[in-house]
Amino acid sequence: MSEQGRTRRKGYEKGDEEEHPLYRYVCDREEQTGFPLLHTHRIFLKRRGLDSRLRVLILVLACSVLVSRLFSVVKRGESLQWMMVIAALLYLQWHRCRVEQEAVVVMPTLGVQLETVYCSKSVKRRFVPLHRILLPVINEAVTPTTCYSYLALLLRDEARLTLTFLHVRPPLSMLVPIRAALCAAVEQPSLQTAP
Amino acid sequence: MDTQQKCQMRHRVLMVSDFFYPNFGGVENHIYYLSQCLLQRGHKVIVATHAYGKRSGVRYMTNGLKVYYIPRLPFIQQDVLPTLCGSLPILRTIFVREGITLVHGHQAFSTLCHEALLHARTMGLRVVFTDHSLYGFADLGSIHMNKVLQFTLADVHQAICVSHTSKENTVLRSGLNPEKVFVIPNAVDTAMFRPDPSMRPCGTDEIVIVVISRLVYRKGADLLVEVIPEVCRLYPQVRFIVGGDGPKRVRLEEMREKHGLQDRVDMLGAVPHAEVRSVLVRGHIFLNSSLTEAFCIAILEAASCGLLTVSTLVGGVPEVLPPDMIVLAPPVPAELSNAIGRAIELLPQVDPFSMHNRMKNLYSWMDVAKRTEVVYDQSLRSDDDDLLVRLSRYYACGPWAGKLFCLVVVINFIVWCFLEWQQPAKDLEVTPDLPPPQAFADELN
Repeated sequence: MSEQGRTRRKGYEKGDEEEHPLYRYVCDREEQTGFPLLHTHRIFLKRRGLDSRLRVLILVLACSVLVSRLFSVVKRGESLQWMMVIAALLYLQWHRCRVEQEAVVVMPTLGVQLETVYCSKSVKRRFVPLHRILLPVINEAVTPTTCYSYLALLLRDEARLTLTFLHVRPPLSMLVPIRAALCAAVEQPSLQTAP
Repeated sequence: MDTQQKCQMRHRVLMVSDFFYPNFGGVENHIYYLSQCLLQRGHKVIVATHAYGKRSGVRYMTNGLKVYYIPRLPFIQQDVLPTLCGSLPILRTIFVREGITLVHGHQAFSTLCHEALLHARTMGLRVVFTDHSLYGFADLGSIHMNKVLQFTLADVHQAICVSHTSKENTVLRSGLNPEKVFVIPNAVDTAMFRPDPSMRPCGTDEIVIVVISRLVYRKGADLLVEVIPEVCRLYPQVRFIVGGDGPKRVRLEEMREKHGLQDRVDMLGAVPHAEVRSVLVRGHIFLNSSLTEAFCIAILEAASCGLLTVSTLVGGVPEVLPPDMIVLAPPVPAELSNAIGRAIELLPQVDPFSMHNRMKNLYSWMDVAKRTEVVYDQSLRSDDDDLLVRLSRYYACGPWAGKLFCLVVVINFIVWCFLEWQQPAKDLEVTPDLPPPQAFADELN
């Protein structure tokens, strides 16, 4: 579609060719008369199946039973009502903090914006100017229970890595094109003419 | 057939041990050199060990050797706390991510090794174990250690020992079928340990005896305290260089003070491995006073540097060097002093460079890798047993221990099934294989 010389191309890149059970990758490129304006890479958390919701339900009920037992001052007849209230509150809080998608928005000559969108529709953004970025890197993290790949930004004059995706752990096949786009923006900060 | 196809036909090995770099020792050296040679032969090799301080995560060593430093801190003597199923999630993830087909555990003292071998068998992978040390039978620690070893080796496909003596010791401790045990001795990097007679004292008839070891009981530091003054008394031209550190260093310092040997005994303290060669080439004779040794790489390094070796006749030491390169004696101070006297008489017949050349032909890490490959191929030909057959092997370990072992294995299996349900293996990301270094690719082609 074209609006006032702007074109928006939605592309499903490698993330769509490989059906990943947990994540969906969408690459959105916005251009104006051949000049790239925004290059957005979004990772969506897929709504998981019945067994995932069942797990959450069991966990919530267990927590609510525990909490209601702790506050055993309530009368026996009211304990079920309190359990329902506590379970509902816990579920709402979990749903509010649940991440819906994370995005890396590459703005040529300006910088990179890192977004986290929650199910409650609140959005957290962080902007990193282009001149501060030394290099985007893909590395592997090892925890006591698992290991996964992550994409981070090496910033000038900063010892700590800046993670691009804080809550999602997309596979390497999704991180590679994002890193390529970041490298292209960092290494060639001037505008490129479209071929 | 291109390089990539050849690599795909090769083994995908995970070396597991609590003992790896940056810690330094015989086991660490063995794992590193063996891994490098297997990489050169086209296999995929990954190493897994515990974190060392802030060194945690994935690191890459020479020629792309990938090392997982799992964030589990050491509990005692560089071993992690044994948790049985605690390491199953991370090890399972590593096995699946790297496409591991064979797990090679090192050293009986390593709890991470034992856990990794158990989890690997639960997941149906091939398992090989290498024992690097001799261990006793009588004391309480040995009894428990041997029972743990019996548990692990009850279900291992093949085992490797570094000497025939070590094979006997391992078979007796664990009850393993001797036909499953291969003997593959360690080797030495002869390119690094080269003789240099110019570093020895020239123009004098002074004889330098070098001792490099950890100054602990097992390494015979108490023997040194008796032997050094006696040798200095009998042979006025002899001087000692002692490298190494440990709890027995104080005793050696006291001996030096008591007999006034400050000018004849140099105490260097801890010697980094990169500087060991520079210390060895200053001597004529290398003295090893260990009370127990499965193999002893130190005397290989000394022989490669052209030193005549005097050693205690213990463990697998007699299997290491030809008789004309080593003088053996029982671990008794008087006998060891006599052996040093015999070695001094033999010194004029010793040519450092011919000794070095012989060592080049006798020992090489590439030969160790080729022989280890045979063990890997043999393990692949073994039958793939299901859980019930495995349980029958564990059950035979003892009236009480057998039942306990079966319980542990069943719990491990249940936890693995839970992990498979919670995060199926097909959902785990598989890491791409790094291309081999160009030199290796050229050699394979």
